[in-house]
Amino acid sequence: MAVSGFEGFEKRLELQFSSHDPDIGIGLRELDFKSLEQVLHQVQCTVVSALGNQHFDSYVLSESSLFVYPTKIIIKTCGTTQLLKSVQPFIHHARTLNLHVTALRYTRGSFIFPEAQPHPHTSFKEEVVYLEDNIPTSLCYRKASVIPSKLTSHSWHVFSAGAVECSDNVPLDLYTVEVCMTDLDQTLARKFFRHPNDGKNGDSAGREMTEITGINRINLNAKICDFAFDPCGYSMNGIDGDRYSTIHVTPEDGFSYASFECVGSIYNDDMADMVKKAVRVFGPGTVSVATTNASQDMCTRIKGAVEQLGMKCRSFSMDEFPAAGTVVFQTFTSRRNRI
Amino acid sequence: MASSEGVVIGCHTVDQWKEQFGKHVDSKKLVVVDFTASWCGPCRVIAPILADLAKKMPHVTFLKVDVDELESVAQEYEVEAMPTFLFLKEGKIVDKVVGAKKDELTGCVEKHAEVVVAA
Repeated sequence: MAVSGFEGFEKRLELQFSSHDPDIGIGLRELDFKSLEQVLHQVQCTVVSALGNQHFDSYVLSESSLFVYPTKIIIKTCGTTQLLKSVQPFIHHARTLNLHVTALRYTRGSFIFPEAQPHPHTSFKEEVVYLEDNIPTSLCYRKASVIPSKLTSHSWHVFSAGAVECSDNVPLDLYTVEVCMTDLDQTLARKFFRHPNDGKNGDSAGREMTEITGINRINLNAKICDFAFDPCGYSMNGIDGDRYSTIHVTPEDGFSYASFECVGSIYNDDMADMVKKAVRVFGPGTVSVATTNASQDMCTRIKGAVEQLGMKCRSFSMDEFPAAGTVVFQTFTSRRNRI
Repeated sequence: MASSEGVVIGCHTVDQWKEQFGKHVDSKKLVVVDFTASWCGPCRVIAPILADLAKKMPHVTFLKVDVDELESVAQEYEVEAMPTFLFLKEGKIVDKVVGAKKDELTGCVEKHAEVVVAA
């Protein structure tokens, strides 16, 4: 493991809003670009490219992704970004549109380089203190917990808060899957390096990476917005109806990392297969899968799919959170894992 | 410079669209069509970049089509995500850019207009 390098592990924030006005219209999608840029500036990231459909807007950022639905914001950033600094500005901008926050969930894995993180991300404890201080008191049901695994390098940190009106309002049909992969197969990771003098720009190089790695075949229905960073690194957002998927890659040996996140629906059967295809793109030594609000059956199927790739399940733990539902955290290692 | 050059021309009715389309179907002039929606944030990201390109390339025609106003045209060209940019020459699609992608959009315009955009 390198002494220092780019931190691939993301911090993820999901905010749910509601309005007393029955006609929300396009809600948060009404936010003008200048306001969004202001918030992103506080987090130290910028928009690289974007794509939207009738359900939501997606943005590829310099350090991961942002999704804006009429009543939901999801922002995921890596490196040393101060993601939690977006909490107050997002809540403030939503208020200007008559939307009030009803639920908040912050999740992340374990940093490869925790000492490199700035305030308030120097520890989970500090993150929790910051959140408790910066969210409205109306989010009265709160829980912070670290879900462990047998691997000290892979734990799952969750902070979830909900308002009274949200406590029974966990959506029945949608769930989220967050896959974190480390120790990527070097031959596969090399595909995410730019070739010098390739005559391409970040957009066209990104498109090529999507195709040659098979990322475009994970979900054939998704419209993909991709980008290749210089000299290496890759990000993509996929939009499929009202569901997003997103992949981010830090390919450098020593701290290689890739993430795959996707929204699933109980009406679609393909999640386990998509997770399997995504993991196969990277050939990682270690995989963690965190699901939020997924059924026990789906968790078992995802486990089976990852095991089909020759990986061994090392842990399977779960916990319940207000406004989020059940979070299940599984870890897997490959048989070649040299840890 | 004619009033329609250097700016993005909005087509708000099917007739306006047909008029613009008809004007260029026999010419070799590049036509870039921006399929946009008022409720789409990414369209706002690319709007100033597109306006800037239009200013710098007056010999290219830039059209703007709102997918709600001209639903039939959006459906005809199978526009599913926004923004979508179609590149037309002599009435035929020669290229497409899906998403607010500054470099790809600029590169595509330069390629088909066969001129490099001044920085």
